[in-house]
Amino acid sequence: MKIKPWIATIVSVFMLTAVIGCSSSQSGGTDSASQAPNKETSKEKVELNFWYGWAGKEGEAMEGLISEFNQSQDRITVKGLTQGDNQKQMAAITGGNPPDLATNDAANVGAWGSKGAMMALEDLISQNKTDLSDFIPAALDAVKYNGKIYALPVAVHVKMLFYNKDLLKEAGYDAPPKTMAELKVMSEKLTQMNGKSLERVAIPPMLDPFATSFAFGGLFWDDQNKQVTSDNEGIKKAFQYVKGMWSKYDSKELDRFSSALGNYASAQNPFFTGKYAMTIDGEWLPTFIKQYAPNLNYGLTPVPYDESDPGLKDAGQLLTTILYIPRGAKHPQEAYEFMQWLLSKESSVKLMSKIGNLPPRKSAADDPALASVPGFKDFLAYLGGPNIKSFPTLPFGNEYMAEVWKQYDSFLRDKVTLDEALQNIKNQIQPLVAKTMK
Amino acid sequence: MNTSRKSFLTGFLFASPWIIGFLVLGLFPFVMSFYYSMTDYDLFQPPKWVGLDNYIAIFQDENFYKSLKNTLFMAFIAVPINLIACLLVALMLNMKVKGIAIFRTVFYLPSVIPAVAGAMLWSWILNPQYGLLNIILRALGLPDPSWLTDPAFTKPSLILMGFWGAGAGALIFLAALQGVPRMFHEAAEIDGANAWDRFRHITLPALSPVTLFQLIMGLIGAFQIFTESFILMGGSNGGPDQSMLFYAVNVYQEAFSFLHMGYASALAWVLFVIVVLITIVIFKTSMRWVYYGGE
Repeated sequence: MKIKPWIATIVSVFMLTAVIGCSSSQSGGTDSASQAPNKETSKEKVELNFWYGWAGKEGEAMEGLISEFNQSQDRITVKGLTQGDNQKQMAAITGGNPPDLATNDAANVGAWGSKGAMMALEDLISQNKTDLSDFIPAALDAVKYNGKIYALPVAVHVKMLFYNKDLLKEAGYDAPPKTMAELKVMSEKLTQMNGKSLERVAIPPMLDPFATSFAFGGLFWDDQNKQVTSDNEGIKKAFQYVKGMWSKYDSKELDRFSSALGNYASAQNPFFTGKYAMTIDGEWLPTFIKQYAPNLNYGLTPVPYDESDPGLKDAGQLLTTILYIPRGAKHPQEAYEFMQWLLSKESSVKLMSKIGNLPPRKSAADDPALASVPGFKDFLAYLGGPNIKSFPTLPFGNEYMAEVWKQYDSFLRDKVTLDEALQNIKNQIQPLVAKTMK
Repeated sequence: MNTSRKSFLTGFLFASPWIIGFLVLGLFPFVMSFYYSMTDYDLFQPPKWVGLDNYIAIFQDENFYKSLKNTLFMAFIAVPINLIACLLVALMLNMKVKGIAIFRTVFYLPSVIPAVAGAMLWSWILNPQYGLLNIILRALGLPDPSWLTDPAFTKPSLILMGFWGAGAGALIFLAALQGVPRMFHEAAEIDGANAWDRFRHITLPALSPVTLFQLIMGLIGAFQIFTESFILMGGSNGGPDQSMLFYAVNVYQEAFSFLHMGYASALAWVLFVIVVLITIVIFKTSMRWVYYGGE
């Protein structure tokens, strides 16, 4: 009687650990297995498996392009599948049964490329004489590691300052802030208190640490000396600036305001309801506004920059969605052929106008098909500027970004000083350089 | 001899689906993870032997201590609170009132909802501005905290969410409650014991084996808490001030965001040892407070 619960517990500990251990690898297998029995095509035709991250309506747009490609020639049949989960892609690659082509985030290029999970594309690019000069330079930077190209950009994302014209006018402003100093002054005027509680906040106070750092000329990496430069003057200024805005109000009171969770894609989005007078957000927001708050009188402008350096005008952060050929793909040649077709200006514009992401090509900026997407004109003009940067492609990029967020959060909450925060980042990340970059 | 061998084979054959499943999906990953914990393994390249380096690194890792602290909070504060809640619900569901079957069903219902869906639902209820909970609190003139964005309130939010699922635990208590012999209560009543005395000296001891079971299952669950943090915080970042960075979340982040599978395996083994130790301590001390009816 007494021994029974003992055994039960030990067994249950084992079982539960085992369940966690195998659930991930199993799910990867079922996906590829369900793909296998498709044999409707003739034998000479090459069948490509393509995993993309878009779902729902966006996924349908992707399927539209896939069937267009399938009809345009008779050698390759592409089979698309919505599968944006990193873990599944990882399991498929390690299991030796990956798709022929997949989408992912440029943040993973450093890690996955350097570890051989993404195929280097140099040979395919030169064999097919692909012209890369039309790609946005910052997007091309994001897919390169150690001089090699491991992927190509399929979509890019950038954030701009959205402002509520009515609320700005009420406070006596006709134009949005151009510099960080102007933003600060305007913020004080636009924030409204009701007794002790905040009624309206000028802008979500926890600004993105990366975009803000770029706006202050901050650099995260010194490639020449292989140094983590989190103690860089620009990053320091950016952290300090955000802290200045943040500490004006009670931290608890501000936490209440960062509550868009669950309400972002709805009419209750705090920017739509005027709880925020301004916000920094991506190219997808105008489409949301059109859907949820069609009467919102808003404008778009580049993220403000550090007034002490005019050379930083129109600085901003670029995020890139990539297409890559996983290691062990069965048909890399054909996968590249489809990739090249999908990234051609014509297909790219077609896909982006439906999906509402920005095309990674310079020449797409003045395409009439994209001009009709709300806000795209401003975004595309901003995107082409020389101060748009990507976070450096590093094998430890994800660790680096996570550590920046962690220390940034601790600094804003007064757990560490500015110097401690930036030094902590360096101390945590610099050792990874020797470990991962040989 | 021959027949017994035959029946052994037959039995073995019938048990083989489980045995094979256990060996391939249970024991094999278990052993491999121990091997990986001694290597530098990034999933894509072959593992490199590093001996105990990963284990040494764990004890210098801030995230390890932070995640352990958060997890221990859930294990030793949230689990007992939840147990008390389960017991209270069970006591209420044990009352003889009209429509008790409906109440039992209603209380059990949330347990049927998948954790992901439940977490999504709660992210709405706990929304500081538009959430149901804060609307009620404001109407009563009570403070309305920012449940999921204030580091001091994220874990209490999870405790609150736990109450909602208390029906499953209550059901087990309820079954045990109905097994408490009536005669003990009657005898005590005749001796003049009041309701509290009877609860304290009859019901609680009679429930103690079930309490032990629930406590251990609750602890195991608390040490593996993952889904709620992952859904509510939108990934493995751990939320504001890393207040929701639980042990399993940290393991996930190391393995799948940072590609440190070797290190993550070592973390998992350290957790295993911690859970075993705690289980042993509880069993040792349980002799003092658990009573088995058969003895």
